[in-house]
Amino acid sequence: MCFNSLFFLFFFMLINFFFLVYFIMNGLSVFFEWENVTFNSMSIVMSILLDWMSLLFMMFVSLISSVVIFYSKSYMNSELNLNRFIILVLMFVFSMVLLIISPNLISILLGWDGLGLISYCLVIYYQNLKSYNAGMLTALSNRIGDVMILMVICWVMNYGSWNYIFYFDFMKNDYVMFIISFMIIIAAMTKSAQIPFSSWLPAAMAAPTPVSALVHSSTLVTAGVYLLIRFNYLLIDMFFFKVLLFLSILTMFMSGISANYEFDLKKIIALSTLSQLGLMMSILSLGFPDIAFFHLLTHSMFKALLFMCAGVIIHMMNDIQDIRYMGGLSLYIPLTSLCLNISNLSLCGIPFLSGFYSKDLILEMVSFNSFNLMVFILFYLSTGLTVFYTFRLIMYVMINDFNLMMIYNLYDEDYIMLNSMFVLLFMSLLSGSFLSWFIFSYPYMIYLPFNLKLMVIYVSILGSILGFMVSNMSIYSLNKLLMSYNLSSFLCLMWFMPNLSTYGLSYIYLNFSQILFKNIDMGWSEIYSGKGIFNILKNYSVFYNVYQMNNFKIYLFSFILYFMILFIFFFI
Amino acid sequence: MNNNSNKMFFLFILFFSTLISISSNSWFGCWIGLEINLLSFIPLISNSKNLLSVETSLKYFLTQSLASINFLFMILIKFSLLKNFDMNNIISIMMNSSLLMKMGSAPFHFWFPNIVEGLSWMNNFMLMTWQKISPMILLSYYFNKNFLIFMIIMNLIIGSLGGLNQTSLRKLLAFSSINNLGWMIFSIMISENLWLFYFLIYSMMIFMMISLFFLMNMYFMNQLFINNMNFFIKLNLLINFLSLGGLPPFMGFMPKWIIINFLLINKFYFLTFIFMMTSLIIIYYYIRIIYSSFMFNYFKMKWMNLLMKNNMSLINLSSFISISSMILSTFIFM
Repeated sequence: MCFNSLFFLFFFMLINFFFLVYFIMNGLSVFFEWENVTFNSMSIVMSILLDWMSLLFMMFVSLISSVVIFYSKSYMNSELNLNRFIILVLMFVFSMVLLIISPNLISILLGWDGLGLISYCLVIYYQNLKSYNAGMLTALSNRIGDVMILMVICWVMNYGSWNYIFYFDFMKNDYVMFIISFMIIIAAMTKSAQIPFSSWLPAAMAAPTPVSALVHSSTLVTAGVYLLIRFNYLLIDMFFFKVLLFLSILTMFMSGISANYEFDLKKIIALSTLSQLGLMMSILSLGFPDIAFFHLLTHSMFKALLFMCAGVIIHMMNDIQDIRYMGGLSLYIPLTSLCLNISNLSLCGIPFLSGFYSKDLILEMVSFNSFNLMVFILFYLSTGLTVFYTFRLIMYVMINDFNLMMIYNLYDEDYIMLNSMFVLLFMSLLSGSFLSWFIFSYPYMIYLPFNLKLMVIYVSILGSILGFMVSNMSIYSLNKLLMSYNLSSFLCLMWFMPNLSTYGLSYIYLNFSQILFKNIDMGWSEIYSGKGIFNILKNYSVFYNVYQMNNFKIYLFSFILYFMILFIFFFI
Repeated sequence: MNNNSNKMFFLFILFFSTLISISSNSWFGCWIGLEINLLSFIPLISNSKNLLSVETSLKYFLTQSLASINFLFMILIKFSLLKNFDMNNIISIMMNSSLLMKMGSAPFHFWFPNIVEGLSWMNNFMLMTWQKISPMILLSYYFNKNFLIFMIIMNLIIGSLGGLNQTSLRKLLAFSSINNLGWMIFSIMISENLWLFYFLIYSMMIFMMISLFFLMNMYFMNQLFINNMNFFIKLNLLINFLSLGGLPPFMGFMPKWIIINFLLINKFYFLTFIFMMTSLIIIYYYIRIIYSSFMFNYFKMKWMNLLMKNNMSLINLSSFISISSMILSTFIFM
């Protein structure tokens, strides 16, 4: 099953690639439409839009998914129901493809809901309590986005069709479009885990690692960004876009800080994904959708690779995900640490790897155009934080001493996993330059003063020094933890937002419902309707029986008495 | 007197007496019919070999004759002292009271559970259905609306509350019969056609119940779950009881529904409430019976298929009619 899907998806990727090249060279885009049902004025159609953006994204998605499925052949080989897993992943890919190619809100909803549902099924794949809780958090946060898209569908019915791409230029100043843009932004925020809804992404790391590699690095979380890229013409001058800018910058910053306090390998990678998502959203809301798309694609490459390396390391460390148990791995697993290093450095934006092209372009565009001081500071600070946690991770995992056990066997030669990682390695090295030459028909003109140009390097060096220093904490280092305990816990626990989304939302209602249940359901309602009425009726019945169980002559006498009384009334 | 031609003779006179009573021109003829009814029913129920049955027939004779005497007396007073035909006065109250005593309706119902306890099932069936025809039709000729509404309420309440504490199936059906009397008296006040409809369906349901109990020879509640009934018999029991209680897909819902319709049209809102609530209490103790018969004891023996005896096709037919009659009734108007 894994082999078949590998070849099928790889072949699909090649088809997409060839079509992509042809379409970009000739400037084509193709729009298919099948009309299903026509009501009085609305027509439900199934549309497919194939332009360079959707073909490119489909190519990347199919490449990553083919590689991940092949990887999971070896990663999940002790799983009894591997076919079930592969089928779930394939359904996920199908929903993503449906989302990508649709210019029509109904098919976007199908893809969107499919993504949410199948990511729930995949997160709860290991059926333990933590996975259940994580899956519930994931599914419900995504559900908010689904509801928003449903409401957008309702509002777009004002315009007569659900193909939103036709209405952007004409209806910009309409009140309906205002509402639609608000809801679309909220839907995208839930899917890509921006600040109010960001608690599900680190929790969803309870999923198996191939799922994290496919879903939580490149496809599910970028669906929101993709939707906003499609809707960009509508949203450019709207007020909520500025709110989105604010929230996404804060997301970027917050997750960068929280990743520095984390000790779980997959959570660090999840928070780095969150940081990069904030970066994508913020550059999108500044008005550069194509750069955001560019960063989306390159990020998906190296993040998937990073997750896969993390999977190999977790397998090696006897299923332990805590980085404090790891160390010195670069000596023993050269190929995996090659992939890990390249993806990490690409994440930091080291020159001429793939992440450099997109990240550097973003930062230079931010410096070149005149934006807010806060925007500027937070962008560069988050870049520095990225380098900070990356170097901290590298120090903990690869360079410091090995902390697990006395006797160990670090096995790197699982060529199925390595081959799949090499494909992504190749792409992670080359995709940056490939994409920057391919999708930008003319380069961006950037002219910056010297120090501003080198600002990236300054913050990167600062971050790396800090990362090196932080990773050298030992048991005897000067520890003033209690002085900064409040601040540390605030920053470590993602500014307490997961508590708000989970405990805060449910506690008050559950408490209230317990009070109601005890007092009403098991209390007064029993007296006034359940047992109470029964007791009353029973007492009445017993009382009645006193009259029923009598001598017969008493009955007859009562009848006669009755008639006598009536008779007397008659004659009076 | 089993399988005796005397029984056939008295049954014939019984039927004929009711016909005399309801088709007579004058009140006197009605009274004659009632007397012949009494006289011909007594031999049907008294069995000289059984002391309880003799006592029962004696009780029946006493109450019914008291009622007949009252009826005759009221008729004579009415003819001699009142020249005009006035609907709402004391005479009508007294005439209605005597007819209610004939029927076994509250507040003159105390003999009714006593007597049904002493009769066999088929005699009970006659008592609960046929004996009520002529008093009811006579009631419809000269009734006092306010008085009857009061009696209806008493019937309903006593029928529901009295049955809660019973374990004997005959007494249970007696109280249910008192309750249904309340519904029937109200339907008399609306139209005689409506009464006929309700009465026919009620007697059909009672017939199915009583024939089931007769075939199983069951007189008390604990007999429902001690013996091993076939599943279809239990199902039939369930359907018939629920139908008698007036639960919607079954046949017994339809007459109650129509009566509620007429209640609401004529703005008897509080009375509707009482009808509803007492109906619920009655369904409660029916379900108690069904529940105990279904759940307490269930065993199946593999080598014998028990209790397909005594012509079960009648029971199957009755279940079918109970379930499907609501739907079939919509085909009447095609």
